[in-house]
Amino acid sequence: MSFLDSVGRAAVRKVEYVGGLSIQFWHGLRLSVRVSPFAGRRLRWKQTVEQMAEIGVRSLPVLCLVAGATGMIIALQSGAELRKFGAMDAVINLVGTGMTRELGPLIAAIVVIGRSGSAISAEVSTMVVTEEVDALRAMAIDPIEFVLVPKFVAMMVMMPCATVVGVLSGILGGGVFSYYALDITLVMYLQRTVEILLMRDILSGLVKAVVFGSIIVHVGCLEGFQVTGGPEGVGHSTTNAVVKSIFLVILADLVCTAFFYFFWR
Amino acid sequence: MNETTSTASRRHLPHKSGAEPLVSARGLVVQYGDRRILHGIDLDIYKGETMVILGPSGCGKSTFLRHLEALEKPLSGSIRIKGKEIVTAPTSDLLKIRRMMGISFQSAAMFNAMTVGDNVALPLREHTDLAESTILLMTRMKLQQVGLEGVEEMYPTQLSGGMRKRASLARALALDPEILFFDEPSAGLDPIIAAGIDQLILRLKDAFQMTIVVVTHELHSAFRIADRMCMMDQGRILAVGTAQEIRQHSHPRIRQFIGRIAGKVDKASHQYITGF
Repeated sequence: MSFLDSVGRAAVRKVEYVGGLSIQFWHGLRLSVRVSPFAGRRLRWKQTVEQMAEIGVRSLPVLCLVAGATGMIIALQSGAELRKFGAMDAVINLVGTGMTRELGPLIAAIVVIGRSGSAISAEVSTMVVTEEVDALRAMAIDPIEFVLVPKFVAMMVMMPCATVVGVLSGILGGGVFSYYALDITLVMYLQRTVEILLMRDILSGLVKAVVFGSIIVHVGCLEGFQVTGGPEGVGHSTTNAVVKSIFLVILADLVCTAFFYFFWR
Repeated sequence: MNETTSTASRRHLPHKSGAEPLVSARGLVVQYGDRRILHGIDLDIYKGETMVILGPSGCGKSTFLRHLEALEKPLSGSIRIKGKEIVTAPTSDLLKIRRMMGISFQSAAMFNAMTVGDNVALPLREHTDLAESTILLMTRMKLQQVGLEGVEEMYPTQLSGGMRKRASLARALALDPEILFFDEPSAGLDPIIAAGIDQLILRLKDAFQMTIVVVTHELHSAFRIADRMCMMDQGRILAVGTAQEIRQHSHPRIRQFIGRIAGKVDKASHQYITGF
């Protein structure tokens, strides 16, 4: 096989994958109304609430710890440099905007990928391997509606919530540093943070959270639905889901950041 | 499809003169990658009969069944259920057709995260607007039909293999299907439990006049439950006929299979099974 041939095949596979993700996304989005508590079936709404607890609520302790530690690390690292210029106050700006625009959504996404992205892929691929997905189709139940949509809707609701919690934890982490290094009270630190933050910063973080959440759930499900082989296939699909989700989330982060930088100043 | 096979299978097609087949496959070709699994299958299944698809492991019978169940699309050919083409049918039509079918999977395919009762109630909750109390009552009735009582609150992992198969059958029966498909119903079960499943299939047929399609390689079970049998080998139909006709068939491969005669696998069979 020539070099060009293998590059071409790899490119076609990637395009196919993105095509598969896009089709699944539109299909899932179209069916999302079915989980509404008023229009949808009770069973689906119940599944969605369970997923909300799993994706959002249960990931909060880890998220708070990771985001809080990250906020402190940013404050420590930037403080060491800014001290040279006598601009220690700027630590508050760096932590506030950095966490809100960038690191809050990213850390929330990475924690959710680790907890829920891998679990989604393992669950769906196991369902495929044990013929449960075939059983759904045989019962005239759309697997996308039954399996993906509750997770998708739960992710769309909980990912922004998790991001807000992550951002707050990060800012509080930075606050602890400021309390000891800058001799600023926590109330003053928070007041200053609120002053420097713009609505644009908050909205860009929330938009990123929604985009990342969508990537995590769709990559997890697609890897699960495309599983081949037995139990070893489940392992492969879980690894692939985590790796691809992290890659696509960072890529999407770059695109979103560039978009906000150029079009929403 | 080679001519001998074609003639062999077509010779048996007019099972009931003038009767319209409930399930009809014509020229079904299935290929995975470069490997051809089914080589132009023709088969008619009539209302109220139990058709057993029989053949050695790897002959393509489960693949054939998955296509009859509309779970996969063939490379070419046609499958009609109650006269409606399913190969080219849009998803909305396919969903309606699937509601006429019940499928009992080889692995039972129960949802392990749900209780047995929720598993059986799932099709009712999804496709009907019945009150929850009615659904619970129907779930109990369906479980009783397959000889399972008081297991509604148990999880599938707490059941034995035979009980899981029965529970899976209760779920397949939930919407009162016209056609019931079984994939290897006795696989992995001890002879007593397997005989119980055979008895259950016979009882369902007698009680509800259901059309039943069973894929198996268990000879004893096949001869016990079949009205007609379809003998497959290497992706082709060798013969279709009553249990008696198959038992007396002169085809050497059928004689070998029925007589459980160990023999050297010919080159073509070996290549088909192993892919090398």
